[in-house]
Amino acid sequence: MPKSKRDKLFFTSLIPFSISLLSMLLLLVSILFFNSIESLSAYGPSLFAKTVWDPENSVYGVLGPILGTIITSLISVSVSLVLSLSLAITIAEYLKGYLKKIVSSIVEFMGGLPTIIYAVWASEYLVPFLKNNVMKPLHTSLPFIPLFSCRPITGFSTFAAGVGLGISTVPYVASIILEAYENIPLIYREACYGIGATKYEAIKTLLSLTRPAIIAALILGFARSLGETTIVALTIGNSMTLTPCLFAPGYTVSALVASQFANAFLYQHAESVLYASMLVTTLISIILSLYASKLIIDWRSKVVV
Amino acid sequence: MYSWRRMRERLFKITVFGVAILALTPFFHLIIVVFINGLPTILEAGLEFFVGLPPTPLSRELGGIAPSLVGTFLMTMISLPITIVLGLFTAILVTEFPKSRISILVDTVAKSLSSVPTIAVSMAMFSLVVVLVNTIPELRAFLNPAGSALTGSLALVIIALPFSYTYFSTFLRSVPATYKEAAYSIGMSRWAVIVRVVIPVIKKSILVAVLMTMARIMGETAALLFTAGRYRSGLPASIISPVDAIPLLIFDYILSPFEVWHRVAWGATLILLLFYMLIFFVVKVVVKEVKLV
Repeated sequence: MPKSKRDKLFFTSLIPFSISLLSMLLLLVSILFFNSIESLSAYGPSLFAKTVWDPENSVYGVLGPILGTIITSLISVSVSLVLSLSLAITIAEYLKGYLKKIVSSIVEFMGGLPTIIYAVWASEYLVPFLKNNVMKPLHTSLPFIPLFSCRPITGFSTFAAGVGLGISTVPYVASIILEAYENIPLIYREACYGIGATKYEAIKTLLSLTRPAIIAALILGFARSLGETTIVALTIGNSMTLTPCLFAPGYTVSALVASQFANAFLYQHAESVLYASMLVTTLISIILSLYASKLIIDWRSKVVV
Repeated sequence: MYSWRRMRERLFKITVFGVAILALTPFFHLIIVVFINGLPTILEAGLEFFVGLPPTPLSRELGGIAPSLVGTFLMTMISLPITIVLGLFTAILVTEFPKSRISILVDTVAKSLSSVPTIAVSMAMFSLVVVLVNTIPELRAFLNPAGSALTGSLALVIIALPFSYTYFSTFLRSVPATYKEAAYSIGMSRWAVIVRVVIPVIKKSILVAVLMTMARIMGETAALLFTAGRYRSGLPASIISPVDAIPLLIFDYILSPFEVWHRVAWGATLILLLFYMLIFFVVKVVVKEVKLV
């Protein structure tokens, strides 16, 4: 549609609103960046190469929290992959009528639930449950595997945080997978049944068509877990030791910030170190989610159209 | 061969069902335990829970969460209108001029902004306020480095804006092109088409977007950690004095070693859950056909 003069006026009048979004992002990233400069220039790359939190002597290294962030997010994604894939298939293929509506409403409901409620539940119920029913058995039966090598003492650990995060991202990942799955054109489904496929075989074929969207959903779930604070801060146990064992307390960048930021101004460089590690997390999260949304758009133009 | 395929079919169905039920179990369990733990607190504290101040750690009285309720209400009232206006107009721009470079940029920016960790927003906002107040002392009249409802609300706007933008643009796109074409063909201007045709068609969806944004704002914790001030020993004097919020109170109290704070945290969790349930049910009743993102 060619733009008329009034259209142009209309367009121009809306620009200030959209600038607001842009300026917020620029402002956020640049504030994080400018606050990080101090520590980045003081410590250089070694800041990300070791694990120390010693504000008294201003020695810092945030390798532990960064690894912790990645590991909890990986656990979270694995948990939510298994759970949300089954949930999406069940809703799309096996449930009909009212039951389908109810179950998808539950998923919607849980998707918007404030994370603090998940966090309370996870710290009070999930952690002891996992400690007694998952961590202890794994530790006693497979102590030679480094991941399970330490005895779970309180239960508050990287593992518990990852599982808690995973459960909280299930509705989000499931709704993306479900939307993609139900968007596959009917002809593919008809073609499957037309050559005599059973339901399992048809689902398998349709899922393979949805694969890029599923991968995108997982990347989005991963990005969301990276920055999640409340659930992790209440379940990870806050400890600055670097260990391969999943059952020991750890830290993620956001949990570190949540527990240390309030007092960080007392020490030299401490605040800046926190800003630097948050900058890294933020950039990774932005890049991943942009990549994932590009994957979904590409997939849609290829398969759905 | 045939029987194997049939068996595999059964096996698959059972597995998928089993895991799906496993996926839903935590959700039911969560809701149930929030009621089991929260209800006794609220019943015991009675009306005091909504008007009283939080207890001291060793107090026998349960007290109440009035400062947090007021804080959450205050910050929702400030940030919701700003978010809705910015989100709606940005979405209108992007859906009306989808090919324009600005629109593509805005869409990408919204996606990036929504993936910024909320605690990063809190840190950045805190730093911004400190820097602004130190360079321009007159700004002290509006910005409080110790945290305030206003600062907290601004952080909430940043969190909720990409969220409401996504809702609005999805709903605006769902308006059939034929409606708009019909309006253009009788000589209506773009603005008139939006006000007289598009908005009336999706007015229920707009209500949904507003309510879901409100739910998002109410439940946000991390964005307020360093911006609101966590002041809970009294009611906030104005929008530039430090405030508390329900999620902040829960966050601080649930890991405390004090029994009474634990109980208050559970009660507050139940209140938050009930608020959210109320919003969700209104959404479901208002629009049955609108799909949530």
